[in-house]
Amino acid sequence: MNSDKILKYILFAASLLILLISGAMILSLVQGSLPSFRQFGWKFLISDKWDPTRGREQYGALLFIAGTLFTSILALILAIPLAFSTSLFVAEYFRNTGMASVVSTLVDLLAGIPSIIYGLWGFYILRPFIVDIGLSSQGYGIFTSGLILAIMIIPYATSLSNTTIMMIPNELKEAAYSLGATRLEVIWNVILPNARSGMTASYILAFGRALGETLAVTMLIGNSNNMPTGLFSTGNTMASVIANQFGEASGLQLSSLIEIGLLLFVITTIINAIGKYIIKKFA
Amino acid sequence: MKRNNLFLALIAVLYVIGTTAKAQLSGAGATFPLPFYNMAFQQYSKTSGEKVTYGGVGSGAGIKSLSDKVVDFGASDAFLSDKEMAAMPAPVVHIPTCSGAVVVAFNLPGVESIKLTSAVLVDIFMGKIKNWNDASLKSINPSVKFPDLAITVVYRSDGSGTTNMFTDYLTKVSKEWASKLGSGKTVNWLTGIGAKGNPGVAGTISQTKGAIGYVGSEYSFAQKIPTAYLQNKAGKFIKPTLATVSAAGKGTIPTDTRIMLTNSDATLAYPISGFTWLLIYKEQNYNNRSLAQAEATLKLIDWMLEKDAQTIASQVNYAQLPAGVVKQAKAILRTVTYNGKPILK
Amino acid sequence: MTQMNVLLENKKMNFIPYFFKGRKVKNGLFLSAVIFFSLITISMVLLIIGTMIFKGYHQINFAFFTQTPPNTFEAMMAKSSGKLIPGGIANGITGSLYMVALASVIAIPFGVLIGIYLYENRKKRYAGIIRDITDVLQGVPSIVIGLIVYLWVVVHITNGYSIFAGSVALSIMMLPLIVRSTEESLKMIPDSLKEAAIALGTPYYKVVWRVLIPTSFTGLMTGILLAISRILGETAPLMLTALGNPAINWNIVKPGAAVPLLIWQFYNDPNMVDLIWSSTLFLMGFVLILNLLAKWIAARRKF
Repeated sequence: MNSDKILKYILFAASLLILLISGAMILSLVQGSLPSFRQFGWKFLISDKWDPTRGREQYGALLFIAGTLFTSILALILAIPLAFSTSLFVAEYFRNTGMASVVSTLVDLLAGIPSIIYGLWGFYILRPFIVDIGLSSQGYGIFTSGLILAIMIIPYATSLSNTTIMMIPNELKEAAYSLGATRLEVIWNVILPNARSGMTASYILAFGRALGETLAVTMLIGNSNNMPTGLFSTGNTMASVIANQFGEASGLQLSSLIEIGLLLFVITTIINAIGKYIIKKFA
Repeated sequence: MKRNNLFLALIAVLYVIGTTAKAQLSGAGATFPLPFYNMAFQQYSKTSGEKVTYGGVGSGAGIKSLSDKVVDFGASDAFLSDKEMAAMPAPVVHIPTCSGAVVVAFNLPGVESIKLTSAVLVDIFMGKIKNWNDASLKSINPSVKFPDLAITVVYRSDGSGTTNMFTDYLTKVSKEWASKLGSGKTVNWLTGIGAKGNPGVAGTISQTKGAIGYVGSEYSFAQKIPTAYLQNKAGKFIKPTLATVSAAGKGTIPTDTRIMLTNSDATLAYPISGFTWLLIYKEQNYNNRSLAQAEATLKLIDWMLEKDAQTIASQVNYAQLPAGVVKQAKAILRTVTYNGKPILK
Repeated sequence: MTQMNVLLENKKMNFIPYFFKGRKVKNGLFLSAVIFFSLITISMVLLIIGTMIFKGYHQINFAFFTQTPPNTFEAMMAKSSGKLIPGGIANGITGSLYMVALASVIAIPFGVLIGIYLYENRKKRYAGIIRDITDVLQGVPSIVIGLIVYLWVVVHITNGYSIFAGSVALSIMMLPLIVRSTEESLKMIPDSLKEAAIALGTPYYKVVWRVLIPTSFTGLMTGILLAISRILGETAPLMLTALGNPAINWNIVKPGAAVPLLIWQFYNDPNMVDLIWSSTLFLMGFVLILNLLAKWIAARRKF
């Protein structure tokens, strides 16, 4: 066996780790959800009840699915223009200047802030601000959580994008400039097509981060078990109901929470697949 | 090659440190007594040299940890029901360590204190009384000027012993509440917003005019939050204080101490009070547990019932156990065995 | 004029002669939009970091780094007499650094290897599946990862809450970021570079070690940095795996402290709430140092 083959086997073996982890995860989640699934069946997905009262427990995931999707998609919509601009700022327009260095470091710092701090900052600073400018009467809700989520995921959306934009060979850009292209045209026709793969990957990672975020959203979404009717209504998300009730749950409630965890896994898969499909179509 | 050897040496060192270190005790459970336990265990480490780690992961997770046998003791604000006891792998005992209460906090500009009867309390939290200038509030508090302000109910979004105690009281005093919402660590609230943890609820109340909610007493005492006087079973309006909370434990307590102290009939008792317990297995020889480890666990819990620990409790706004309960708790501890023989004399 | 019209109509012709004002205006507008949105981002970052600095700087002193947290009574006394809360977060700092180091040792080699695998086998269906699963892993809430590691490690391997379990949970959270940024950085390397090396007869492992990894080094580092920044601030998974510890602990099979766990503890304690800001400042400071270190290494490589 020559060294090439050995390396190939090592690489393949490493990839099995992902299967191992996700397999263990799915196995444990399915095992834990069985009692709840046996009790509620598929109705769990469309039921909007969440009643932990002993003696007539009724659980359903619909409210949380809605809350999760609303907040995460809103977060991505808000974050993309911000992240995209910051990437271009750092990696293209002001590339290699001190200012770009400072800005990129500042943005990367955002990734290190614990989510509880985001929640607290949102609670003490953002929420009163939203109440003051009259958008909502108590400041909790989908919009506030979505906004905090957007800020939280910006470093994920910019980091990889910056790298891919900066790694585009200069010759390609110089060729376009020499043909008389403006900066915008170079960005649109040279940089974007080449960096598209990396940028998409970073947005998917950012979206994944938003879907799974717990503490920050929990502190700003109002935690009311109702279907969100507007941008400023309160609601609840899958990750935050799990985080909120997990420590104190047992029996059927615990099983339902685990089933919600499993659902989150499934929904993330579906949305990622849809996203990748859309991007392929536009290629 | 050199790097590999270094790595292996490091692992060996870590392992040796692991096996020769003194037996550490670990426990997990309720967040309610967290400040008290942290301080008490810190003091205990200083005097006995035994290191104790406690994680406030929640009563449910704590009981699960005990059930999975990954901790020396669990901690819970809600005692295990008979059904839950049967579901544990082996019999467990409950040892109360202190009491706490749930207080009703509010934010009414210009108003320092209000009285609430149980009926009005229920109606507010069910959303039936929607405004502070409601007639029922006026009739109990004739001297208070209530503004025309909507009531915003604030509850705990995370499952908690505080919610359990609060709803247990409401269930006892209102048939309607019992049938519509019942009691538990989380309930299906009919109105209001959920905030996370005591600080979340207290913070929301202090930032929202007209808000009313329930908070753990250790928190409200420390933050000096304005709280309501509640009418107890004897008919008196009681202010929550360490004394009135302790008073709730002076009635008859069953031998195994598994009782909710809410709606106590002691005259000066604050109506929403309760114990918090530590849970351990009755038979301590499980999972290759050493006698030394079992002894260490019991010594710790015994110390928690003594004067030093109980004084710490009141220093940090938890109510001490009445003398009768301490006696009962110590008796329970002395039924805990190792291979059938009681560990403590 | 007609020549211009022809050019305008020919949409395939992307580069219309420069002296058309329309393109210059668009260019300028785009630049303004980019600057505008970047400013919004920067001001939000400054606002958040500024709040933390303002609320937490006075709590940072030598004791902060060397002592363990005070008990709630000491904090209460200090607060009521207007003094600084005594003690510090030494147990959290050592615990966090320890667990992050362990998690990195697990996650970085595996993450990079998997990234290389995905890059080399792009066309294969199996690789596509691995890639998709990796992206999904990124979206798993940290508490679910904590639960899984509790079930598999705390209960079955270490038979108790432990630093090892905490590191395993953190390493799982690092993996997707490292894998994907490795793969994407490798993809940006021009094929010509790799082909030149192979044409010279370089064995495959040398191509990887001497050509691919060094060229994509900055990208790899970015992914690793982002992963480390993320796990530094994670609370939920550690609550179910490392539990926390009031003292400094080096024993890998016993519970360990971490800064985010301490932050959670402080948050729930009415007397110690003020300590959360200074603790966050520590985390921020550490991320900053890592960032600067990475930039310095990147600059020295002269690529």
